[in-house]
Amino acid sequence: MGGSPARELFWDGVRLSLDPAEGGRPLCIDGRCLDAETVPGCFAHVCALSEDAARIPFDQPEVQEARRAALAWWIPLLGDTLVCLSTFSLDGVHCAGAVTVARHPHHFDQDPFARLFAGTTVRTDLFGVVAAPAGPLIERIAGAPWPGGRFPASA
Amino acid sequence: MATNDDESADPIPALVSGARFPDVELPDHTGRMRSLSEIAAGNPLALFTARGWWCPKEQRYMRGLVELQDEFEVAYAQMVVITIDAPEVQSAFRAGLGARFTFLSDAERRWIDLLGLLESTDTTHRPYRPAGFTLRPDLTIHESYNGYWFWGRATAEDLRRDMRAISRDLRDDWEPA
Repeated sequence: MGGSPARELFWDGVRLSLDPAEGGRPLCIDGRCLDAETVPGCFAHVCALSEDAARIPFDQPEVQEARRAALAWWIPLLGDTLVCLSTFSLDGVHCAGAVTVARHPHHFDQDPFARLFAGTTVRTDLFGVVAAPAGPLIERIAGAPWPGGRFPASA
Repeated sequence: MATNDDESADPIPALVSGARFPDVELPDHTGRMRSLSEIAAGNPLALFTARGWWCPKEQRYMRGLVELQDEFEVAYAQMVVITIDAPEVQSAFRAGLGARFTFLSDAERRWIDLLGLLESTDTTHRPYRPAGFTLRPDLTIHESYNGYWFWGRATAEDLRRDMRAISRDLRDDWEPA
């Protein structure tokens, strides 16, 4: 598992960008999603708002339940269309939603992360394929956006 | 990552404490290829081999693992089950159980003989013999359990004890500085 633990992108409610000059709310995602070779023409379901007040602690039950749902049925439902997914983190405590990237948007109306913040579908060339997280682990590692991060190798 | 296609590969040693479990790569319950090291991702891993969905003993044991997954999900540890069921069968079984851990499918029986885990008494299904292994992130076996007889299987307390031992050894900050 290589790549950065977290990287920043920007969301203005309509567009996703890696360029802070384009404006938008900064959101941290699992860096592997942006480090991997990109898949052009994907669809991103962005379950986040552009307002900075739209945040919720990661440890809230609804955020935990969305992660459980992702492992239980969201990832299996997407099947081969899944490119990657990541929660959005703002700091060591707060979640700003999540993004699911797929080759087709067919199932986005069932996105469990849309229970946290309403979803918006956008076309994107920013993301690459990352192995879907394996369950049952849903906890974050050192504040990294789930499912990113990894403890340093030890003895 | 091992694929077992290399005939010159070293033979797999006995799956006992201290040996390294092969980095088995198989399709998961969604059909995606997964390796054990990828699933562990730096965490302790509880690995189970099981006969399949049809076995009442597996149905009971898996329900116990589903209860235990609520602890694994917050304890930086992972679980995985290998059976000879096809991915779509595993996916249905997993959904029925309410499991959130990963199933790996050895429907083609690519690993079962190499691992020495064929249940030779069931010549109809030729399934995996039930077994359990608690593994460090590098897949070194901490403890192994022979579940041919149900009472030989790892209990929840066995697994908690093993995960504690591995984590204590693994996490540098286990004891406060």
